[in-house]
Amino acid sequence: MTTTARTRPTAVGAAQRGRPLSAFDRADLGRLDGGQRLQVLDTLRTVLAGAYAHLPAKRAAYAVDPVHELELLRRRATELTDTEFHLAVSGVVTRLRDAHTRYVGPVSLRGAVAALPFLVEQHGRYDEPTFVVTKVSDDVGDAAFEPGVRVEWWSGVPMARAVEVHADRETGGRPDARRARALESLTFRALDYGPPPDEHWVDVGYRSRRGAAKEVRVPWRVLLPGKAATAVAAGSRAVTRQAADPAAEAVRRAKKLLFAPGLWAADQAVPRPAGGDDLATPLQDVLSARALSRDLGYLRIWSFDVDDDDAFVDEVARLVGLLPQGGLVVDLRGNPGGLVWAAERVLQLFTDGPVLPTRFQLVASPLTRAMAASPFNRLELQAWQPSLDDAVSTGEQYAQPLPLTDPAWCNDRGRGYPGPAVAVVDANTYSSGDLFAAGWVDNDCGPLVCVGRATGAGGANVWTGAQLRDALAGTDEQLDPLPAGVGFTVAIRRAVRSGRSDGVPIEDLGVGGIPYDMTRDDVLRGNRDLLAFCADVLARQPGGG
Amino acid sequence: MWAIRGRVLPMAEHPAVPVTRSGAFAGVVWIGDDGRVAHVTTARHAVPQGFEQVDVVDVGTDLVLPGLVDLHNHLAYDTLPLWTEPTRTTPWEHHDAWPRAASYAASTTWPAYALITACPDELLAFVETKALIGGTTTIQGSPPMNRPRDGWLVRNVEDETFGTRDAGLVYASTLTAKPPVLADRANRMRAGSAFVYHCAEGRRGSLVAREFRDAEQAGCLQERFVAVHANAVDPSVFAGWSGSPGAVAWSPFSNLWLYGETTAVPEVLAQGVAVCLGSDWAPSGTKHVLGEVKVARLVADHLGWTLSDEDLVRMVTSSPGDVLRRSWQRQVGRLQPGALADVLVLSARRGANPYRAVVRATEADVQLVVVDGVPRYGTPELMQTAGARSTTSLTVAGQPRQLSLQHPDDDSAWAWSDVVDRLEEVRADPKGEIEQAQGRLAAFAGRLDADDAPLRLALDMPTGVGPVGGLPKDLADVVVPPVQSLEHDAEWLDAVSGRGFHDGVLDGLRAFYGGHR
Repeated sequence: MTTTARTRPTAVGAAQRGRPLSAFDRADLGRLDGGQRLQVLDTLRTVLAGAYAHLPAKRAAYAVDPVHELELLRRRATELTDTEFHLAVSGVVTRLRDAHTRYVGPVSLRGAVAALPFLVEQHGRYDEPTFVVTKVSDDVGDAAFEPGVRVEWWSGVPMARAVEVHADRETGGRPDARRARALESLTFRALDYGPPPDEHWVDVGYRSRRGAAKEVRVPWRVLLPGKAATAVAAGSRAVTRQAADPAAEAVRRAKKLLFAPGLWAADQAVPRPAGGDDLATPLQDVLSARALSRDLGYLRIWSFDVDDDDAFVDEVARLVGLLPQGGLVVDLRGNPGGLVWAAERVLQLFTDGPVLPTRFQLVASPLTRAMAASPFNRLELQAWQPSLDDAVSTGEQYAQPLPLTDPAWCNDRGRGYPGPAVAVVDANTYSSGDLFAAGWVDNDCGPLVCVGRATGAGGANVWTGAQLRDALAGTDEQLDPLPAGVGFTVAIRRAVRSGRSDGVPIEDLGVGGIPYDMTRDDVLRGNRDLLAFCADVLARQPGGG
Repeated sequence: MWAIRGRVLPMAEHPAVPVTRSGAFAGVVWIGDDGRVAHVTTARHAVPQGFEQVDVVDVGTDLVLPGLVDLHNHLAYDTLPLWTEPTRTTPWEHHDAWPRAASYAASTTWPAYALITACPDELLAFVETKALIGGTTTIQGSPPMNRPRDGWLVRNVEDETFGTRDAGLVYASTLTAKPPVLADRANRMRAGSAFVYHCAEGRRGSLVAREFRDAEQAGCLQERFVAVHANAVDPSVFAGWSGSPGAVAWSPFSNLWLYGETTAVPEVLAQGVAVCLGSDWAPSGTKHVLGEVKVARLVADHLGWTLSDEDLVRMVTSSPGDVLRRSWQRQVGRLQPGALADVLVLSARRGANPYRAVVRATEADVQLVVVDGVPRYGTPELMQTAGARSTTSLTVAGQPRQLSLQHPDDDSAWAWSDVVDRLEEVRADPKGEIEQAQGRLAAFAGRLDADDAPLRLALDMPTGVGPVGGLPKDLADVVVPPVQSLEHDAEWLDAVSGRGFHDGVLDGLRAFYGGHR
């Protein structure tokens, strides 16, 4: 474990323990009177009808009409309890299956994550998964509950069924994506974007290493994982160029607090000391790199949540330059996204050819036209304005697709890793992670190995409610601040692929690759089989092996 | 209540105001507590009832005239130096051409963005002061802003609501509007609004001439319509406006600087359409309309137009004042009973032709500027005599001046040096200052049009060719050039010579500023 002088172990321990969920009175989680509820519903209706980039696709894909649902909910909003109201609103938004577009209820737990102090992962075939505990914090209180035990029951429900049931409450366009998020949310839930767990504890039925059926009761705790110093800052230009699942990013940080507390504590330390075989890096919150063998290197991109994409690209270039040059595994599993510029610019390090960035488009509506026409948004949105205006007469549903990342910036460094490289993604690789995967394939950076059917399929630039309100200020579509801290995030600009997949959307489709099913050795022994598989893929590449 | 006694050049059109052959007379302008002119009398006239006890500021033989009106500006850019594209050797065709120049965005958009974002209050204080120094009391072209900022330093044409918060008194558009928008503006003008519209800016016959035709077809050629530039328009086209003539905002410096030719002013006037001067923005304009009127003199003489000095003075006083009255229902640009008490005092020799004296006046001649009956700027002596509040000192054209300056949000006194220092702070670190300002804005949770919201300004000119998002990849690439002087000084005159496409015509400005080379 690595800690710094600035964060004493006792402080880390306290942060890991958090506070029990039972300490929070739900009555304190925010009440809305009838008028305030209408404010929430009217704002969401305006946003979904006028700004939501995926509304046409979601209506087609899931036969839902969130705008009409909100209109119906408006009629009975005052009759509901607070809990019923927030669940109803959350339900409307969650049924869009879009992790970018979230309802942020009036919780007093801003920035908090509800967590159980262990991690469950699955391996094996999709239709016959096995669930094993892969990480345990040191204070569960059951010595037999350790990494490697198989989870069979979840509060009395067979584990596979528990995951399926919970998947229905989750975002994710494909069933495998929903299941991946459901498995994660059984033990970690970002409270900014969903209600606290109903239950204060779970009873986990598991099979010990010796084969005994056992059960342990584990209470939920509430953590405040914070953000790394290198993450995007409020007010930064980067905030309008985000493509991320904000809930998954919060969960990622909570996992780090529980299972890599030394690294979590070192977030403020620059540069951090090397941990294990990893190379030292000042961007340890988002990057890690090590040699796998004399010839092969491994780069993990945990997240693109950085404020400075120049520093990010430069650091990746530096790290891959220190790794063996015979082949590289670039692992983006679980990457929830972040700064679009970072994801798209780093691609150039792995190809000789020019990199074409993904393009983005606003949905064509009176609201987006008003927003693009506002003098306050000219620098940000004027490029989309002519096609938004033309859409009135052409009938186009979207504005012209344009890049958020200037093509010149995608090619300003040149290749940084001379050998072949393979990228690895999974269903939790999301948003800017999706963009990276799409760019990896479309710009011929190398083969893509996919755990699951495809990436998480989040294809949009996401804005917060405050950002959208800011952009609409002074227009006829102006939004009022919402009561009691209620907020939302929304997919504002839809991403479509470039290059050989020109025009293909990413949302709900994701990016597929060479399929791979995780093994028990992968989840318990450092991805041993996965890395061997990747080495084999690399060996078949020109210049590999 | 107070009064100014001097040689009054009222530009009036009111039966109660004396009329003389020269246009001026020894007289008194009586100012009421409502910020309006109560009376304009000869000096020997009896003191009007109710004014027996008021202080009278005596300016001797100096001219007392209406505050000047600048009907075409872009204030957000008015700290910047004159701009030319280094590689350009021939005049630009029209207004869509020069924003595509390689150096445009970095020279105009980016530095202006840094200042409006990081120090909007200081920027407005500086550029409005710059207007005051040229005798301007009403100016068009204030940057779009997120909340009302009624009647602060100089009267802003688009923002002035006279306390009503009616934002629909005057509409303006720098960018070319589509026909449906023009049609909407036509109807708003029929309902009483004014519309100040940049159109047909370019060389005669260039493709942008159609913009004026579009405005005509939309029904915009009304008496509350101000066509800014219209220099691409064939003179015969103005005949279509004679039925209900409005005004053309003429910016000869900018026209010559960019296009080498200017608006057909005699033909415009022949149709009964008023011509009003505008100094345009600093990258291709004069410092203020007191400078622009000299350019008008030079250009008229160069082209052989028969425009008198009186004609030119009307272009910065009564003509724009009358156009604005049609929507404001209040008079500026004339000193007469009921008019807004916006007053300018210019030093002048005894017996001098008053119009000629105005045209030839420089910043050093500006003795006192009054907006809404409040002394805003002037010599220390006159400011003190007029009872100016919260004054701060500055030097203009080598002479001491005082400015009545308060913070716009709380009316507390504001030192001019603080304004300048803050601009310099932003110049020193544009990237850091922009990011801090954006952070402050992001932290504000209330309505952005609320009175306590951070002031937020927007740019109104073309942004130019740049990356998606309009700004450089690295904000450290934003360079804010040195803040330019307030007056037409030697450095500025040097920058005029040999640049732009005026073919030496503007070199004649040196003659007006005799103290300079």
